[in-house]
Amino acid sequence: MELTATGMEVRIGRKDIVHGVSVRVKDKQFVGLIGPNGCGKSTLLKSIYKSLVPKSGSVMLDDLNILKSSEKKVSQKMGVVGQFNEMHFDLTVEQMVMLGRTPHKKMLEADRPKDHEIVEEALRITNLTDYKERSYLSLSGGEKQRVVLARTIAQQPEFMILDEPTNHLDIRYQIEILSCVKNLGIGVLAALHDLEMAAHYCDYLYAVKNGVVYAHGTPEEVLTPENIEAIYEVRCATYRNPITGSLGFAYSL
Amino acid sequence: MQKTRTHKARATGFYSAFILAMVGLILISAVYSVSIGQVQIPFRQAMNILLHALSGGHLGSIEQIDNGSYLNIIMQVRMPRVIFALLIGLGLSLCGTVMQAVVQNPLADPYILGISSGASLGATFAILIGFGSGTIFSQFGVASAAFVGAMITSLGVLFLSSIGGKATSVKLVLSGVVVGAMCGSFSSLIIYFANDAEGIKTVTFWSMGSLGSSSWQKVPIMAIVVLLGCLIFLFQHRILNAMLLGDESAITLGINLSVYRKLYMVATALVTGTMVAYAGMIGFVGLIIPHITRGMFGADHKKLMPATLLLGALFLIWADILSRTLVHNVELPIGIITSVIGSPLFIYMIVKKGYNFGG
Repeated sequence: MELTATGMEVRIGRKDIVHGVSVRVKDKQFVGLIGPNGCGKSTLLKSIYKSLVPKSGSVMLDDLNILKSSEKKVSQKMGVVGQFNEMHFDLTVEQMVMLGRTPHKKMLEADRPKDHEIVEEALRITNLTDYKERSYLSLSGGEKQRVVLARTIAQQPEFMILDEPTNHLDIRYQIEILSCVKNLGIGVLAALHDLEMAAHYCDYLYAVKNGVVYAHGTPEEVLTPENIEAIYEVRCATYRNPITGSLGFAYSL
Repeated sequence: MQKTRTHKARATGFYSAFILAMVGLILISAVYSVSIGQVQIPFRQAMNILLHALSGGHLGSIEQIDNGSYLNIIMQVRMPRVIFALLIGLGLSLCGTVMQAVVQNPLADPYILGISSGASLGATFAILIGFGSGTIFSQFGVASAAFVGAMITSLGVLFLSSIGGKATSVKLVLSGVVVGAMCGSFSSLIIYFANDAEGIKTVTFWSMGSLGSSSWQKVPIMAIVVLLGCLIFLFQHRILNAMLLGDESAITLGINLSVYRKLYMVATALVTGTMVAYAGMIGFVGLIIPHITRGMFGADHKKLMPATLLLGALFLIWADILSRTLVHNVELPIGIITSVIGSPLFIYMIVKKGYNFGG
């Protein structure tokens, strides 16, 4: 599954947030979207998964025209893990994950044994098997995010969009979520705020600033001190972490 | 693993038992309800009359009935009333559950979109001003005026909340409050200038809800609207569940909430409008019944909906029984009864731990 978004322009109210951004995620690639708060990462992602209607641009997932297809059709191929997952009513973890089967269900279709198997598997992958009967609202932020990830996995998407999925999460949860997604072996487009995580997990990066792509390439190509200083307006030095061997960053104002 | 499975099996068993118990209790309560009133009819004879009538004469015997008028009292006066109570109980709890999901707010009830104040305005207008004589509108009764009022306000709220893009739940609630306030002030204005004490009393009485006007002629419309509504929404549990997640997540599951929200609002407005037109405002049922069943079975609409509908019907049948028996020879407005029972129940739920209204 290859995702190509071309010439995306998004306007919210009277403000242009995204100006002509194009991104491409090749088959089974993990692509990161980095940039400071308010640069348009989330807005771009929302316009790709149909939550916002872009002013112009096109999104293709292989030969499926996302912007012109029904929500149901899109949701059968594309899963989304978002930032906010609060709600006012309570469901059990299992019911919550079962909701991931919704896109594959006809109006009057019942849950079949196959659906339960898929849900069990999603719970197993996310280490939530023991949480099945727990109430969703009683969980911690990290656990809730894992439930949402399990729901998205139960959706059996061929492509996944993550919108800062590890925001506010402790380091263990960050690693759990990103490793879990990486192991699915499907195409991923993820907005990430932690550059070390981005360097570690992404095959390719797009750096966004003020609604345009400032730089793109492999993490080594994009995450240079010069680029980071320009994008985030902080002084930055990069180094090889002596233990993990991956990119490390030191910041100062 | 074994433990969770047995736990789950027990929960499913409890649910089935609850549904069966509800159906049984509704039937028994209906028979009890037709047996009481100014003329007390023994329970066994009431049951025989009902069995006889429902089975077309094959079951039950009406030969040992003490008084020939019993048959008429039950079949002509009390039966339509029990059916009305049952239908309105179903309808109110249905609309309450749907509205709470539509606006993602546990405080929602069937009247939240200004339907009650719109219906009141319609009824007040019809009672105090009327439509003049000679026009085709003079054919309209209070019920029709209330229905039209309810429809106009709910469509107004729908329109107001969809100005400038998506109808979000916050916009819906606020529009409902605004339109409600506007209709309320117009009603007050009409009442203020009306020099008609009898009319004002009628308006007040209407707004407290009553099943007194139930008759066989009104049963078909009511039954069609309410039962159709129940039938439709019993199969909407996936979308209702997705609604609880909010717009953003629902879209990623393939459900465009702003479309369904409008459809569901029109459907509930039709059901609520019909009920309000025939029985006035019966508060608290649509708010509290879904919370009670949610406390028992959780928010999954697949289980929640049938349980809520049945409990709502049972609750209203009993509210009607109480409204006729609490004060000797006086029929209290049923809206007072439901609120009097409803409020302490609600307080009990707030005080009791373990159910947090989703908050």
